[in-house]
Amino acid sequence: MSRHKITLVVNGERYGLEVEANRTLLQAIREDLSLTGTKRACERGDCGLCTVLVDGVPTKSCLMLAVEANRKEITTIEGLVKGEELSPVQQAFVKHGAVQCGFCTPAFILAAEALLKRNPKPTEEEVKEAIGGILCRCTGYRQIIDAILDASKSKKGG
Amino acid sequence: MMPKFDYLRPRTTEKLIGLLAKHGEDAKLFAGGTDLLVLMRDKIVRPKYVIDLKGIDELHELSHDEERGLRIGATVTLNELLKSEVVKERFAALWSAADVLADPTLRNRSTLVGNICNASPASDMAPALLVLDAEVEVAGKEGERTIPIRDFFTGVKRTSLKPGEFVRAVRIPNPPAGAKGGYLKWGRTRGEDLAVVGVAALVADSGKELARIALSSVAPTPLLVPEVEKVFQGEGLLEKKIDEAAAAVLKKICPISDVRCCEEYRICMAEVLTRRILKQLLGAS
Repeated sequence: MSRHKITLVVNGERYGLEVEANRTLLQAIREDLSLTGTKRACERGDCGLCTVLVDGVPTKSCLMLAVEANRKEITTIEGLVKGEELSPVQQAFVKHGAVQCGFCTPAFILAAEALLKRNPKPTEEEVKEAIGGILCRCTGYRQIIDAILDASKSKKGG
Repeated sequence: MMPKFDYLRPRTTEKLIGLLAKHGEDAKLFAGGTDLLVLMRDKIVRPKYVIDLKGIDELHELSHDEERGLRIGATVTLNELLKSEVVKERFAALWSAADVLADPTLRNRSTLVGNICNASPASDMAPALLVLDAEVEVAGKEGERTIPIRDFFTGVKRTSLKPGEFVRAVRIPNPPAGAKGGYLKWGRTRGEDLAVVGVAALVADSGKELARIALSSVAPTPLLVPEVEKVFQGEGLLEKKIDEAAAAVLKKICPISDVRCCEEYRICMAEVLTRRILKQLLGAS
């Protein structure tokens, strides 16, 4: 199997890795970089819990090879906190109780971050559309949608 | 864990053709990976070589021309299609199919060409391409050729591509002025799931100039129903023509029962959706 030297910029930090061809981006993030906020679940693109941002675009990292991510900028949930301060979306999730078991939370928050960057004042329909690829098995969607809408209100500009 | 393979990333179509000629059946082409990586993980396919097309810039072109129509390169993603105003306005069947395929996160990676090369009977993009009379631009070591989309699907997960060939792009002629199109997908959930039944339609001049219906998930391949075209030619009440079109669809389909639903339900929904989309596009009550 071929091996590849890759460079990833993850949460602003540059990492050099050597990966085998069949390593997924998800495995590289969790196992090589020990960033376990990105969750492994179905590993077939159904549940969306492994969602990270690749150059700002929500991507299911179980269906992307690590070698493909060479020279790309990756944002994981660990990259949103500034010091001790949670991001506005994270704060809104806390405020609305949009976290139950918490396993899907990193994926929803990253999808919301990408949505609000692209569309600072989304409608409820647009929020639902943007999180359509992620499953919450506690089924707390109402609180998640409310949190994202609330975060959009507190965002400056728009 | 995925089986072992070598990852190759050619930069030009010439190099790609060379790699395909050399590795043949041992190689699989890789664009979005949303079908391929799942099949590899389930060990249904075990390629020795995975050839990533995304290093070839020319395959990433989406262009439109008043004479030649729309051309969609092999690595153009569905979200890139959805962002295109001309696709939304002039190729509505295609746009609305892309809009309901899988989910918005996967559509950042999934490609139209990958969707048709996977050749699932449940393909959402195929019915739209069938009603739009698309052509598949193919290249290989023997040269280039064009396959009409109607001849592209040959069975479940089978296409008329020969070993060593790849799809460079899909071309779609401009529909006549004033044509209307759409795609209705019936699924168990709104997102993520494959279609229980999907129906694409394209009509022009109340169906007299053009009336095409194609379906997914009702036969071993995505299915165009050419008999619908004849139904709408000539005079007659629109409601009666829609009845006849629905009857023509029912005559042609041969769905199976599977994990999503039973055969009878598919037959029922194929009729309902055919009527619904024709009424929507033709403005019948």
